[in-house]
Amino acid sequence: MKSEQLVVSEMIGVDMAVSTDDGEKIFQAIDQLLKNNSTVELDFSKITIMTTAFLNAAIGQLYSAYEGEQLNRLLVFKNLSPENKVRVRQVVERAKEYFANKKGFEESANRAIYGE
Amino acid sequence: MKIQLPENINSDYTGYLHLMQLHENLSNSHSHDVELNFSHVKWIEANLMAVIGAILSIHKKSKKITIEGLKPNHTDLFSRNQFLSTEFNHERRVDSNQTIIPYKKFSPLADQDFIRYIKEELLNKPDFPKHTQKLGDKIAESIFELYENARTHGRCEHIYTCGQYYPNKTPKILDITIVDMGKTIKTNVNEYLKQGLSGVEAIEWALKNGNTTKVDNIPGGLGLNIMFEFIQLNQGKVQIVSADGFWEYKKPQTETRICDHSFPGTIVNIEFNLDDPAYYSLKQERDIPLDDIF
Repeated sequence: MKSEQLVVSEMIGVDMAVSTDDGEKIFQAIDQLLKNNSTVELDFSKITIMTTAFLNAAIGQLYSAYEGEQLNRLLVFKNLSPENKVRVRQVVERAKEYFANKKGFEESANRAIYGE
Repeated sequence: MKIQLPENINSDYTGYLHLMQLHENLSNSHSHDVELNFSHVKWIEANLMAVIGAILSIHKKSKKITIEGLKPNHTDLFSRNQFLSTEFNHERRVDSNQTIIPYKKFSPLADQDFIRYIKEELLNKPDFPKHTQKLGDKIAESIFELYENARTHGRCEHIYTCGQYYPNKTPKILDITIVDMGKTIKTNVNEYLKQGLSGVEAIEWALKNGNTTKVDNIPGGLGLNIMFEFIQLNQGKVQIVSADGFWEYKKPQTETRICDHSFPGTIVNIEFNLDDPAYYSLKQERDIPLDDIF
């Protein structure tokens, strides 16, 4: 299995990882590499400010396609400040809840509509 | 038709009611030509130009609006903060006092422009009142969370911002106002919950950690709460006005009002305490193992 590195500041062209659109860029790149059976090292060096809006798109969205156990094996963070680790943890916890609720909502909607 | 603005327009409940009335007067006017008259105005907080600009943007589509009766000090202020040059093609003046964050309107697609604006007008300003780097970062983080919230939820044409430093107040403060004229919080929350919450109840719901109206693959429900937690620590102030809801937090209390008028979008005004010496360290800052973070 290949290992690829993504440097966030180089990919978004700024030292602030704050917008949903930039988060989406990072998500697309990670998703593509994981689909190609690579492991990914996500490097946050030079990033000063980071928002949950960015992280929801970049990292939280991964839970729409991957399980936590897979992500622990395939995605590694580098140069994440202690403060930004807290933000990542908050977003990961929130994403788990969000997709659990979404799944539950969609299943109950399917039951209601299709009687499944 | 002439619309006279009142003597005092502050960032408070009464001030926002005046601005809602301005919107309603413009909506109810059948005249094509409207004069917005400032001759009675003695005091207006500059950050509120974000609200006035947002209101004018709606009505300029069907009316010719002119501005009259500005006192010289207001003309000077609104020229330096670029409101008059942006909305009325007046000459732009240089802000030699460095106490303003200019009036700007951003397309929701222009995320990089907003990042540049905050960097240039807030973080890199040499005369920005002295504060710690950490405080500057936390202020910027809150503003970005709010901006992304407005972009994502409002589904609007533009987002309007304007700010003002008050370096002579004790404590020194920075007010920044962000306005979107898209769907109100009340509409978004009620459509999502399929309920009939008031404007205030909808704002309270949206502020709770984890609550979101999003249904796509990008989770939400953290941004407003993170801003609010920081304002509590910083001993600042936050006001949210949307539809008929007015919600304000200023330590130690929250004040809410159902307004007799309604605002057709969302205003968030945040006041940061720049004399705050606290070093912000988030809970659980240590001991998060990265190999098991998912």
